[in-house]
Amino acid sequence: MKHLLLTTVATLALAGAAQAQSTLNVSLNADLRTNDPGVNRDGNSDGLLMHILEGLVGARNDMSIAPMLAEKVDVSDDFKTFTFVLRDGLKFHNGASVTSAEFLWSWNRYMDPATQWSCRADFDGSRVVEVTSVETPDPKTVVMTIAEPSPVFLALLARPECGQTAILHPDSVDDSGKYQFPIGTGPFKWQEWRKGEYVQLEAFADYVSPSNEGTADGLVGNKDPLVGFLRYMVVPDGATVIAGIRSGAIHFGSIAAEQIDEFRDIPTLQLLNVPTGGHNILYFQTRNTPLDNVEIRRAIAEAIDLDQLVAAASNGTGTPNMSLIPVGSSWYSDIQAQRPAYDPESAKARLAAAGYKGEPITIKANRRGNVPSYPAAIVAQAMLQAVGINAQIEVLDFAIQTDQRREGLGQISSVSVTPRLDPSFTYTFFIGNKDDDPSRMWEDPRAIELMDRSYVETDPDKRQQIFDELHLLMMEEVPSVFIYNMVYNWLAPKSLTGMPVWESYPRLWNVALD
Amino acid sequence: MLRFAFGRILSAIPTLLIVSVTVFFLIRLVPGDPAALLMGDHGDAAALAELRERLGLDQSVLTQFRIWFFNLLSGDFGTSIWIGDPVLPLILQRFMVSVQVVIPAVIFATLVAVPAGILAAARQNSAVDVSLISIATLLLSVPTFWLGLLLLLVFGLHLGWLPVVGYVSMRTDFVGGLLYLVLPVVTLFLHEIGTIIRMSRASTLEVLGLDYITHARAKGLSEGMILWRHTFKNAFGPTLTLLGLILGNLLSGIAVIETVFTIPGLGRLMVDAIYARDYPVIQGCMLFIAFIYVLVNLCIDLLYSFFDPKVVTQ
Repeated sequence: MKHLLLTTVATLALAGAAQAQSTLNVSLNADLRTNDPGVNRDGNSDGLLMHILEGLVGARNDMSIAPMLAEKVDVSDDFKTFTFVLRDGLKFHNGASVTSAEFLWSWNRYMDPATQWSCRADFDGSRVVEVTSVETPDPKTVVMTIAEPSPVFLALLARPECGQTAILHPDSVDDSGKYQFPIGTGPFKWQEWRKGEYVQLEAFADYVSPSNEGTADGLVGNKDPLVGFLRYMVVPDGATVIAGIRSGAIHFGSIAAEQIDEFRDIPTLQLLNVPTGGHNILYFQTRNTPLDNVEIRRAIAEAIDLDQLVAAASNGTGTPNMSLIPVGSSWYSDIQAQRPAYDPESAKARLAAAGYKGEPITIKANRRGNVPSYPAAIVAQAMLQAVGINAQIEVLDFAIQTDQRREGLGQISSVSVTPRLDPSFTYTFFIGNKDDDPSRMWEDPRAIELMDRSYVETDPDKRQQIFDELHLLMMEEVPSVFIYNMVYNWLAPKSLTGMPVWESYPRLWNVALD
Repeated sequence: MLRFAFGRILSAIPTLLIVSVTVFFLIRLVPGDPAALLMGDHGDAAALAELRERLGLDQSVLTQFRIWFFNLLSGDFGTSIWIGDPVLPLILQRFMVSVQVVIPAVIFATLVAVPAGILAAARQNSAVDVSLISIATLLLSVPTFWLGLLLLLVFGLHLGWLPVVGYVSMRTDFVGGLLYLVLPVVTLFLHEIGTIIRMSRASTLEVLGLDYITHARAKGLSEGMILWRHTFKNAFGPTLTLLGLILGNLLSGIAVIETVFTIPGLGRLMVDAIYARDYPVIQGCMLFIAFIYVLVNLCIDLLYSFFDPKVVTQ
């Protein structure tokens, strides 16, 4: 009896140790909002679900689009018919084979208003494209037809915020149609969600990864699960995240820019500064005085020493970028690299010519730790004051700041905007008529026309020209000052190998704990 | 006693009504649109309007109140805007987590601080008294988050005796769950004993100065007997009142401790709900907290009669 007891205890201890070794603990600053792709979503939900779910196409590191569950995608000459052929041997987490029928089922569910998929309006003709038919001529083929040619259709499908339009197995919902949990095709499968505590995923043993020579590439490429379990732990406090990483309880977590100096030279830890496609911006309300005057806006742009501002706000990790296209994007050209020169004397002259008499210009900022809203505002304020602008700072709760920006209130708002897969999507966030949507920053008819063209021009070279024209126009009109692409700072033990980040998301396939 | 308790609960109904009306309208006076926060930086004005309509936020505040209030009467606290879960089960689940930290901390604090306060009073102006008062003042002055982080760094990180991060329910793993609760309970315990020591000392000193204590001493009773039989029961009343307030206050949320120690309790739920402008959760939490205060104070009132027979509960 005693022997049996000892054996049992030893076995349990070994099993526990094995599981603990292969469990990678990641910190989340807040609990998931949902496990239903693209429904009531937020960044944490998108980032976790991309380990479980996959769509027909996905994004590469440079944000271009590549096949994911599809082996290949054929696009008709008129850019209206898209034919996807599924890869061989694909399995759902419940063991079922993946066929075009499940895509059709998933698509119909997404497009059902009752699902409340946040991206439905982008496909039903009310916003971007209208999908007129989805056909499944055989178990491996999906044919989607849209009403008008669109160069962004694949990017629309691949968006993480839409759950990548992933193929779900119908057993993800129960008999009454209520969503249960995601049964997908990704390298990890759903295991447990203890709300407020953690979400745990388990490696999918039957996962069939694209080879891509063993290299991860955005959400496509090689995606082998190298740890047994992923545990996303809800840790809202930054100091606790650091204590957790130091103690080994957490293997991977995001830290604020001002904390990174502490960890630059610790032999047991690695610090990753990862630029993303998100933007940090001094967002102008261009209808409100005095920012309705283009000379004042130009003066502000010239008064800001962007290199210095970025170095201070990002603690040396950011790269100045006045373009709406991220530095790492395949659309980032030499023209996109152009920006107004730092010229305080010219700024002063412009202010005088514009009749600026020291009216206060308020920069609204928030104090959230993961974005540089406040430090960017502080440095910008000093630079604006140096040329004679009466710059003030108003610190707001993020909810209030968001509300005011959406309602077109105030003058300058120091904000951060999450990345979009295609430049057209990013421009859409900023450009438009303020009568229709007061949150739009820039309502120049030339910009609106260029943006609209970018949604229908299917020739990549001509699209590049459109984006370059937009950028040059933006440098002329200065509807805002774009500062730099968001950088996320991550901390992990040296024993963690692989590249565990894509954009602002932990990407934990091809990542191991030695 | 039962009639007294029932009457007290009935008399709390107007209080809860006032709380529900006040909270409902006050939170809507705070700027910030929950729908805009839900959408983040995605979606245009039309999408925002659609979401507001789906959440019922496009209706007048009075209509929203009417719907919420009548649902409340049937026990439906609504659904969280942020995470889509029913509010009442969410609150109860989070409350039970907070209880696991608060109740042990308050019990231990009472067991240590009340005798310590009595001892300090009995040895007034002695080294013991000065030491206890100094410790109490020090503990009162230290912010909870700092104390929590300090304990976490020492016992979790450097000594490695206790887990640094995470939470395990005791229902899942009793021993593991206990380990995760040690540091938050100790933090709360240390923070609360300062207040209780001071109150216990002050009320004991007041009683020790009364004529009947002089009379007891004149009768030749021992100091121990005087403290236990004649002082403690009479001096404990004010401390009991304070304990009621402390308990009500802590049960309504220990957001800072819950944040530092990653405990998914009621305080963190409410703070998150306020940041997200999750109206149904904020309203539900406030109403629940008001009810907890009523219940805790009722329990304290019932306990009075045990310590002081002059207090009649019928």
